[in-house]
Amino acid sequence: MADDITRWSDELARDPANLVFLMLGEALRKQNQLGVAHRVAVKGLERHPHHADAHDLLARILVDLGDFDQAFDEWDMTLRLAPGHVGALKGMGFVRFKQGRLPEAEEYLRRASGDATMPDVGASQALRTVRQSGAFVAPVPAPVPVPEEEPATLFARVLTGAGQTALLMDASGLVMAGSYLLADGSDVASEVGAALSGVSDEADRATRHLNLGEWTAILVETEAAVIAMAPAAEDGLLLLAASRATPLGLLKRLLGRCRDTAREWMEGRPS
Amino acid sequence: MTGPRTPTPFGSLLDTLTRQRGVKAGMVVSESDGIIIDSNMQIGVHGDRVAALAASLYRKARMSATAAGLGTATFFQLEAERGRLCAAGRNDLVVVVVTEAQANVGLIRMELLRAAEGFA
Repeated sequence: MADDITRWSDELARDPANLVFLMLGEALRKQNQLGVAHRVAVKGLERHPHHADAHDLLARILVDLGDFDQAFDEWDMTLRLAPGHVGALKGMGFVRFKQGRLPEAEEYLRRASGDATMPDVGASQALRTVRQSGAFVAPVPAPVPVPEEEPATLFARVLTGAGQTALLMDASGLVMAGSYLLADGSDVASEVGAALSGVSDEADRATRHLNLGEWTAILVETEAAVIAMAPAAEDGLLLLAASRATPLGLLKRLLGRCRDTAREWMEGRPS
Repeated sequence: MTGPRTPTPFGSLLDTLTRQRGVKAGMVVSESDGIIIDSNMQIGVHGDRVAALAASLYRKARMSATAAGLGTATFFQLEAERGRLCAAGRNDLVVVVVTEAQANVGLIRMELLRAAEGFA
């Protein structure tokens, strides 16, 4: 599997439009490298926005990340592009089952299980499970267990564009969550965080002396990227970087979402 | 605005910038030492202080971006509760604008980037 991932990564690096990203993303997902898998899928979708299997791949990754609503939307898109897509129907049935919406789950799985001439065994088994559950479980939304967030993939749900990355640093400039991946897959979060965290100290000094109140955001455009920073809890710093093509207005919106994600994560961490 | 000043090549640039709604001060500053080269400010703005802090902040952002492998910084913006500080620079010259919090940053950014192009 590791050899395959290396080979597919090389192929993709040589030819970014190669559909090998579908296999690479799935392999990474199976290895539970969900943040990287998410990036691969999103990047692939940017080049192949009308490829049903690419949306299917992203949906499966989103389910593993615990984002059932987004996953459902991706499978919905898959079905629009490829009506009758069995993977999408099974996925949507699974999401509705997890959400306790059993009649809808049953309908999706019934469609996925096919007819008598070409039945889908997996979907048929899932359908039986749903029907058996329906006999005992009232059709009210079941609590969806919130998966434990991995620090490195904390912002994966929020960042959906190519080249977007976010870091959460503590007051001393050490990375607490997020990642900064280069094209070769190496994570340089610590280096980038250390280099940029000093800007916030200068911002503190400037706003204090100029009587501007607390600083709320810093935006820097460079030749290669656009960067946004915002203060985080406990004197931490949130840093978001995106490709140069990202409009600053969008960058600020993403910064706000990352800030919310970071706050929730910080509040949920044991002190 | 302040009274007559010694003419410099930056006069019309600063006039254009400070005509934008919400702009309280515009200045061209030396990035390396934070000294004002030319300015156009409303009364009450501490020009020397703004110049020194803005130049220091811009320099820090530029050097940090370079150290992080992100290339040369072209535009910088600090947002705070009671205002913003925007800057763009090239060749040791930084054009700095101090605005109210509600100013139209899109227009100001375009003017700053155009001004910095002129520093080439």
